[in-house]
Amino acid sequence: MAAPTTRTGGRAFGRGLVDAALIALCALGIVLTARGAIIPIKAAVAQVLLERAFDRSVAAREPQKPWPWADMAPVARLAIPRLGVDRVVLDTGSGQAMAFGPTLLPGGARLGAPGTTVIAAHRDTHFHFLQRLRLGDRIMAEGLDGRTHRYRVVSTAIVRWDRFAIPEGGEMLALATCYPFDAVRHGPLRYVVFAATDR
Amino acid sequence: MFLPFPLPTRSAAFGVIPAAALLAAVPAVTVMPARAPAASPAAADATAADDGPTNGTLLLRRPGVADALPAIRLGTDMDVTVTGPVARVRVTQAFRNTSGQWMEARYLYPLPEGGAVDGLRMVVGQRVIVGRIHERAQARQIYDQAKAEGRKAGLVEQQRPNMFTTNVANVGPGETVLISIDYQMPVRAAQGTYSLRLPLVIGPRYVPPHSLTSAPAAADADTVTSSPILDPKLRQNLNPVSIAVHLAPGFAPANVISRYHHVRIAGHGDRREIRLASGDVPADRDFELSWRSASADPTIGLFRERSNGQDYVMAAITPPVDDVKRAVPPREMVFVIDNSGSMGGSSMEEAKASLLHALAALRPQDRFNVIRFDDTMTRLFDHSVAATPDQVAVAERFAKGLQADGGTEMLPALKAALADAAVSGTPDMVRQVIFLTDGAISNEQEMLATLGQDGGRSHVFLIGIGSAPNDHLMARMAEIGRGTYTHISTPEEVSARMAALLDTLERPSVRNLSVKVEGMAIDLTPRMLPDLYAGEPLVLLGRTGAVQGTMTISGRIGDRPWSQTVRLADAVPSPAVAKLWARRRIDDVEADRSLGKLEDQAADRQIADLGLEQGLVTSQTSLVAVDETPVRPTGAMLTREELPMNLPAGWDFDTLFGGEAAKAAAANAGTMGERAAQQATAAEALDLPQTATGFLGTLAGGVALLLSGLAGLVLLRRHGSVA
Repeated sequence: MAAPTTRTGGRAFGRGLVDAALIALCALGIVLTARGAIIPIKAAVAQVLLERAFDRSVAAREPQKPWPWADMAPVARLAIPRLGVDRVVLDTGSGQAMAFGPTLLPGGARLGAPGTTVIAAHRDTHFHFLQRLRLGDRIMAEGLDGRTHRYRVVSTAIVRWDRFAIPEGGEMLALATCYPFDAVRHGPLRYVVFAATDR
Repeated sequence: MFLPFPLPTRSAAFGVIPAAALLAAVPAVTVMPARAPAASPAAADATAADDGPTNGTLLLRRPGVADALPAIRLGTDMDVTVTGPVARVRVTQAFRNTSGQWMEARYLYPLPEGGAVDGLRMVVGQRVIVGRIHERAQARQIYDQAKAEGRKAGLVEQQRPNMFTTNVANVGPGETVLISIDYQMPVRAAQGTYSLRLPLVIGPRYVPPHSLTSAPAAADADTVTSSPILDPKLRQNLNPVSIAVHLAPGFAPANVISRYHHVRIAGHGDRREIRLASGDVPADRDFELSWRSASADPTIGLFRERSNGQDYVMAAITPPVDDVKRAVPPREMVFVIDNSGSMGGSSMEEAKASLLHALAALRPQDRFNVIRFDDTMTRLFDHSVAATPDQVAVAERFAKGLQADGGTEMLPALKAALADAAVSGTPDMVRQVIFLTDGAISNEQEMLATLGQDGGRSHVFLIGIGSAPNDHLMARMAEIGRGTYTHISTPEEVSARMAALLDTLERPSVRNLSVKVEGMAIDLTPRMLPDLYAGEPLVLLGRTGAVQGTMTISGRIGDRPWSQTVRLADAVPSPAVAKLWARRRIDDVEADRSLGKLEDQAADRQIADLGLEQGLVTSQTSLVAVDETPVRPTGAMLTREELPMNLPAGWDFDTLFGGEAAKAAAANAGTMGERAAQQATAAEALDLPQTATGFLGTLAGGVALLLSGLAGLVLLRRHGSVA
């Protein structure tokens, strides 16, 4: 251990630099992990709050905000008995609302109205179950008026986001999410499940 | 990654047809004064320019609809003589004028792949007038002049190598004029089966708007699309055809089969007589006759003809079939499926069934992709993916959901299929592009040029779907793309033909073919030798001073070299070899033109010379027959009529002409599911939002960074303590 002091000092400085870089790397990793982890947590927690807001809304017969500063409100509750799925649907089609729950697209029909109701949600959170939906599965959608609309899955389709069109007439439900399910990047394809009114 | 051409508005993409499209359709009957001979092409220019690419939504140029029977009725008789490797066909068209006016008629007529028209006769009463070959413009002038002077005239012009028009002028009230056209074509031989495919009708072609760059281009597109289509609601048997085939293949034929028409077969020994069982049929699908040899299959056919002091030879050599089943190396297969409006009806079902059949045969080690196109295009995957059961299931669902509608923009789909080669698979991986289409387009040259330039390591296989596919385009594409061409004309043929094709795709092809001739100089065609697949013969045509010496063909089958030598002096005489040579040479010239090796003018000149020398109708030469005696009284008007064609069998009239029935079908659909599937017929566009948080990616990235940082720190500490 008789190295010249100057060299030792240089080495210590270099090591400090590497240390700092590695710590920064760790910090960045923690931030990214947190940002990634918050998404499913937010999605799950929001649903609990939304369920309460939905019950309040049904009782009040008008949309109630889930938390005071929210700029959206629940409009329906979606249930697939076979998969044990229960989701509260929000009223705006914005990306912000979609972090908390499936949203009703303004371009489609209102729930229970003639035409096709389109509900979209993220493929990796609320609509992850879409890939497990099978033809003939029953879907129930409860509106704010307390009425339950029953649907049955009749077809699925893979479309480009800008090549989708809803059929006119009839009363249908379309559930849309990104496709493919296990992709990491964003892509142009969407997976759509069509369900027809089940009488 | 998307379309290299301007996107149509969404209403066009979803088949909501602007009313303007129907209004813009070319009128079925154009009335014009007799004394304005030049008015015809000029009028064509004007209409074509008007409803051309000016309106962005008006992508599909529609042929007109004939909702009344034409004044001129046409009957066709085909008399086919097969002698050895050549079929000679005489088509007699009887134009009967049922009106009280003097008429001019124009009829668009298909020609088989490799067919060459070399004779025209016009029969007026007791007189027969023989047509002469002239350069195209000159022939048109002769015809127009005769027409203006009130004399009977007939003109045969080529519009595409497999499409020509017959014009006949000054047909008097109640009169019948016979026009007879002679052509010859090679008999196709593959896997021991000989076949003859005679198209009887042309499917309406789609004209890509970008191809209408100039008035001549528009006029050219107009000539191939202006024939109106008879509305099937009239329930009329239009354009009846009778067919007789005199079969003398040079051996005892066996298994003589007509695939799409009922026939009666008579005769024995080396000869057969084949006639349609019902006398005549409407011209709405291809006629196909196939036969085999009762004895062993000949593997070499050598024929020659002496004409104009020169010898012409034709050699058909079939390389041995490699029957050993080997492990097939991993392949990349790109399926390109046409779901344009012309595929509506049974064609779409055949195409889907064929695609599903092929998808089912994929193995996990293969890579694949599916591209669909109408006037838009979708790539199922950005690049080819591994054929895992999941991915194949995705492709199957995608295929099942396809609906026929819209125009036929085939070029972007071809480019997309070829462009992916650069990033998918290794350079030595076998890459096969499989097209499922009817080829109903008018920009064939553009397709061939693109394929010639960008073909790369991809092999292109064509599956011609429907009752009247565009054979010429697909045969040429298969040749340039070093693949094969298969027909699937009825749903029953899907599994048999697909199984055969898939088998072909698994076997090594005969590659790197070369020809060496010793003992003489010979002008051989085709210049670009194709790759050959199981049981296909190499057909070579040559011109020389005097046939002698030998010809050696060599190549590689799989990884083994192969070669075969034939003595050319053994060739047996056969008619028409000279004309087939000229016809094939014209294809070479056109290929050089497509690939930019030859200037337009030089190519036109070479084609014109070949046409004049052999008396063939080509893009530059036409046959014209003119009666010397004026018959139409001075001052009587001449009415011009475009004779309507039948819609090819299995095509859906309503999908093609505005989707009325498609809407009705949607309304009547028993289940909502069917309605959902038919969303494209009556639909409202809706953009779907971005619906992926991608949190797993973020999470994984974060964890990876954290772990690498920690690992670095730990290592550093340990290193530090040791030091």
